[in-house]
Amino acid sequence: MRKWFVGLLIIGLISFSGCKPSDKTTHNATDDTQKAQQELKIAVAAPITGSSAAFGAMIKKGAELKKKEINEAGGIKGRMLTVLFRDDAGKGSEASLVAEGIANDKEILAVVGHFNSACSLAGQTIYDRAGIVELSPGSTAVNVCEGSKWTFRNLYRDDFQGKFIAQYIDNVLTDLETVAVFFDNDDYGRGLRNAFVAEAEKIGLTLVASEAYERDTTNFKAQLTSIKAKKPDAIFISGLYTEAGLIVQQAREAGVTSQFFGADGIDNADFLTTAGSLAAEGTYITTPFLFGKDDPKAQEMVANFEKLYNVRPDTWAALTYDAVGMIAEALEKTYKPEAKLAENRNAIREHLAAIDTPEEGYTGVTGLTYFDHNGDTVNKPAYVKVVKDGKFVPAEKQLVDMK
Amino acid sequence: MWAQIFEQLINGLVLGGIYALIAVGYTMVYGIIQLINFAHGEIYMFGAYFGLILITVCHIPFWFALPLAMLLCALLGMLIDYVAYRPLRNAPRLSALITAIGISLALQNLARIIWSASPRKYPPDLLPSFFVSGIGKTGEVINAIPLPGDGTLPYRDVFILLIAVALMILLNLLIYYTRIGKAMRACAQNAVAANLMGIKTNAVILVTFAIGSALGAVAGVMVGLSEVVTPTMGYYKGVAAFAAAVLGGIGSVTGAIVGGLLIGIAEVFGADIHSGYRIAFAYIIMILVILIRPTGLFGKATSKRA
Repeated sequence: MRKWFVGLLIIGLISFSGCKPSDKTTHNATDDTQKAQQELKIAVAAPITGSSAAFGAMIKKGAELKKKEINEAGGIKGRMLTVLFRDDAGKGSEASLVAEGIANDKEILAVVGHFNSACSLAGQTIYDRAGIVELSPGSTAVNVCEGSKWTFRNLYRDDFQGKFIAQYIDNVLTDLETVAVFFDNDDYGRGLRNAFVAEAEKIGLTLVASEAYERDTTNFKAQLTSIKAKKPDAIFISGLYTEAGLIVQQAREAGVTSQFFGADGIDNADFLTTAGSLAAEGTYITTPFLFGKDDPKAQEMVANFEKLYNVRPDTWAALTYDAVGMIAEALEKTYKPEAKLAENRNAIREHLAAIDTPEEGYTGVTGLTYFDHNGDTVNKPAYVKVVKDGKFVPAEKQLVDMK
Repeated sequence: MWAQIFEQLINGLVLGGIYALIAVGYTMVYGIIQLINFAHGEIYMFGAYFGLILITVCHIPFWFALPLAMLLCALLGMLIDYVAYRPLRNAPRLSALITAIGISLALQNLARIIWSASPRKYPPDLLPSFFVSGIGKTGEVINAIPLPGDGTLPYRDVFILLIAVALMILLNLLIYYTRIGKAMRACAQNAVAANLMGIKTNAVILVTFAIGSALGAVAGVMVGLSEVVTPTMGYYKGVAAFAAAVLGGIGSVTGAIVGGLLIGIAEVFGADIHSGYRIAFAYIIMILVILIRPTGLFGKATSKRA
């Protein structure tokens, strides 16, 4: 009897955890059919849980704000926009399951996501086979859009970002001459490191160390001791905010005095709480977007966002807000109620692919977005923020002219 | 050069001290009921969360939160034994092993549901101030001992090492000089015979789970102090500690301590050789030792049991 009971308990637990996502879909499918016919559904795939969850939270808020504004203005062709959130936990393996689910959902017209580059890459082949647009508001690895005509993104690539960071260190922080790289051993961290190292060597910065770490590890003392022995002026962390926060904290504990520089994977307030305000102070990071004080469009979004959520939006909320806006615009122009799912999905792709010049570009809060033949956005600049008095603020000197 | 090696050695010892605290939990349970308690990594994770909740939500000072977290984890360990393993005591070993994996998954997901997957940190302002290290306003590293060269050793890490050593000594005293320790050794030698001699084996097993889990809780709180707390934190350190227990000879408490320190040191020096394969070096050493001495460093030749 007892054996049976334990067996049942385990089966119950496994099926409980396994069934969760499909519960949601059945729930959505059994919604009032009348209402369902009048809704247009898109998916937002993001790391709602896991070590990138703080990004996911902002992405969710950005998407919901845009959805609310669209629906309050009367929706799309009189239909309400519905955004379905799917959690990829920031892991490629989860992302492919999520992508399969989305691709097979007969009501989802397009995907905004994924965030982590490894997730966008894992989803790419699946979306490509199913014929559904994947518009990423956060993946920067170089090859995210390569090899599929269905993949787009509305921010820069890491080859640009890595080059930018090296040039910023060389031109603006001129007293830094030797650099070390500490990188996350995944698609994002490695790609960004390669771009940075290539440019650094070209412009004459001296690379003294390059060390790797695995995502979700929390003890970096060993690598930091090796890096410290090389006495670099600057340490570039090519990774995400949780690990970066711990690295900065543990480095300061070990007496590392080097200047820290990070990329957009660190652009989240959780970096500051993880590192502690003392250790984080003075860290430079890059970001795809700053909310300009004189930019009325950006300031309006900030005001609406703060009214709804009582927090300031970040870069990722703004990029997601724009990505949802672009998909909504595509639906507004191309959606035909009588057409088949595949035709409507394809029409969105054709609309996005046709946005290939500045004149046709989509003007959102993050500026003008248009795509090259790959689906990449190549016109958007990078900016630099610095931690000052425990907060990220725009750096005094920005690097406007890249060589 | 030597200063760097010395600093890495200290890094390895601190990490190894934590592995040893966790490894003891694996090895004690195995010694008595020949079960690899895969849920032990999750008990360690719960220990870290208990400490965090006691400090941040209940506003209990750190020095009381630590023993309370140990107590809560001891209860959790006993509960797991009572609910999941005791009914399977006479079942084939594989059933108990699969149950252990199931409990591990269930606990990990439970933690994710309760506390979400986002990493959390012990807030520095609620901890005793000497635990909070870093570069102060003067440019010197505060709350740390200077090492030869330009290295530093935070007071917190000294505390971790001291508490690990103290608990290991206490544990050995308990096992070799108390009645319950004697009962545990008797059960480890032959549970049936011990039972026939009037030892309540089930009670002894419960105590074993309680002690192992309490030590796991200490490791969890120590890692919470210096790193972050997540529902999946039991995986990395749990596997490494398990490797430490196997390296030292599973079933042997001394082996678990030595194994933990060795794995910690191997991992740190592995990172020096190639940081991408940091933990792999620790496993390579474990595999080499197992190849030469299949019972591990301190393991006794296993007697065939009915």
